[in-house]
Amino acid sequence: MGIRKLNRKDYLNILEAIFFIDFLKGLSVTLRNLLRRPITTEYPEEKLTPPKRFRGAHGHFVWDGTEPPSLRAIEKFMSFEKGKSRCVACYMCQTACPMPSLFRIEAVQLPDGRKKVTRFDMNLLNCLFCGLCVDACPVGCLTMTDLYELAGYSRRDEVLNMEKLEAFGIDYKNRRGNEPDRIWPKDEEREKLWGKIEWSG
Amino acid sequence: MTEVGVSLIVTLVKIVVLLGVALGVSAYLTWFERKLAGHIQARLGPSVVGPFGLLQPIADGIKLLTKESIIPKGADVPVYYLAVVLALAPAILLFAVIPFGPEFEVFGYKVKPIIADVNIGLLLVFAMGSLLVYGTIFSGWASNSKYAFIGSLRKAAVIIAYEVVLGFTVLGVVLLAGTLSTVGIVEAQAEKGVWFVFYQPVAFILYLFCMLAESGRVPFDIQEAEAELVTGYHVEYGGMRFGAFPLAEWYLNVMALSAIAVVLFFGGWSGPNILGPLSPYFWFLAKMFGLVFFVLWLHWTLPRFQARDVTEIAWKIMLPLALVNLVVTAVVLYMFGGE
Repeated sequence: MGIRKLNRKDYLNILEAIFFIDFLKGLSVTLRNLLRRPITTEYPEEKLTPPKRFRGAHGHFVWDGTEPPSLRAIEKFMSFEKGKSRCVACYMCQTACPMPSLFRIEAVQLPDGRKKVTRFDMNLLNCLFCGLCVDACPVGCLTMTDLYELAGYSRRDEVLNMEKLEAFGIDYKNRRGNEPDRIWPKDEEREKLWGKIEWSG
Repeated sequence: MTEVGVSLIVTLVKIVVLLGVALGVSAYLTWFERKLAGHIQARLGPSVVGPFGLLQPIADGIKLLTKESIIPKGADVPVYYLAVVLALAPAILLFAVIPFGPEFEVFGYKVKPIIADVNIGLLLVFAMGSLLVYGTIFSGWASNSKYAFIGSLRKAAVIIAYEVVLGFTVLGVVLLAGTLSTVGIVEAQAEKGVWFVFYQPVAFILYLFCMLAESGRVPFDIQEAEAELVTGYHVEYGGMRFGAFPLAEWYLNVMALSAIAVVLFFGGWSGPNILGPLSPYFWFLAKMFGLVFFVLWLHWTLPRFQARDVTEIAWKIMLPLALVNLVVTAVVLYMFGGE
């Protein structure tokens, strides 16, 4: 699909003017479009699945046996339960975040010396969904899900707490965990939009 | 029952039927136009209210009727109301001279499917077309708003220009038919066996342009000009009064002028007999809605002319063309025609 360059004429010649060639061309364009299938997504009834890398609401991956080695290494210093957030309260996400007041993370030291994360709040009203926090997370905990319907009735609704983050993370992993990490969810869709990509190597 | 009484009742029935059909169809033309525009732009158009959005005109009507309509401060109230009537009435009255089919007999009475079979039918059309401008002018003036006023002035300029062209355009057909009566013109075409569009192609194209200008359709919709004048002369109206203007101008007027174009150029109700007694009506309506569809199609294709170009085209190009066409028709008819 190359780009064809067209030079627009300043004036039509006399035959084109008499037979309204430009009108007819325009009419044929609209007629062709009329017969084309509409591209509308009827939103509330029909929802598009975003690509897996879509940067939607945040989520926490939980302890489920797929932890990365970085987390395995410090496992014994943490107080955790299976099915709960992997967060180790390292504050890397908060450090990476361009918005200083977005995160509120608190942790306590238990009597046996292990660390327990007691609070992990994210105020999405301040969030610009840049994903820097996800890149910064050293233990594969924080992620961004494909959930994009984030409207709520109060400002408090927009604050994600630990339970919500865990729920989002579990849900996201269940639905999308096995998908290849590509920009477009399906190769056909991507090829339709961008053409065939020749992968190197 | 006396002859007068019967004819009165028959006329009344015809008026009621035509009024109901015309208003109902024009309400559904809004649905059709939105659907068409949607699909041309790869959208769906109305699709929520009813199957395929078919109840949308009713929903729109309820919405418009229950809306609060505010009269602007400093408005000329009687004229403000009068404008609505003056916009709607001539558009509906245009239908009075449209013959939808040939004469037929019911219970021994001869009925013509035309409300007013007058021998100056076309003149009446021009009269009503010229009257339309009063609705526009009054609404622009009474609204006390600069957008509305500019819109109404533009429309007045357009109507004055195109009414002249329209008159000269149609005269060619009148010369060929030898009558101003709409029924007479259709019968003349049936007699000759040729639609006048083949004798008068230039006149037909000019008529089409005049029709677009008269009904405020693209590319001559400078009085609406959403981008510059918000929506032109009816911007200060609210509720159903707001709905009445586009209804009259964009739908009723387009339908009536298309019907007249069919009468003038496409042989009215003539066509092969495929549906028995209903065949003439079918052909008339098919031709008429074909033209309406063409107008809507053009609307969603073309951009708008500049305001100064519109009148320039009318006076400098279309009027001379119409005059030449008329003179050539007259000369040819005088030399070779003749009964």
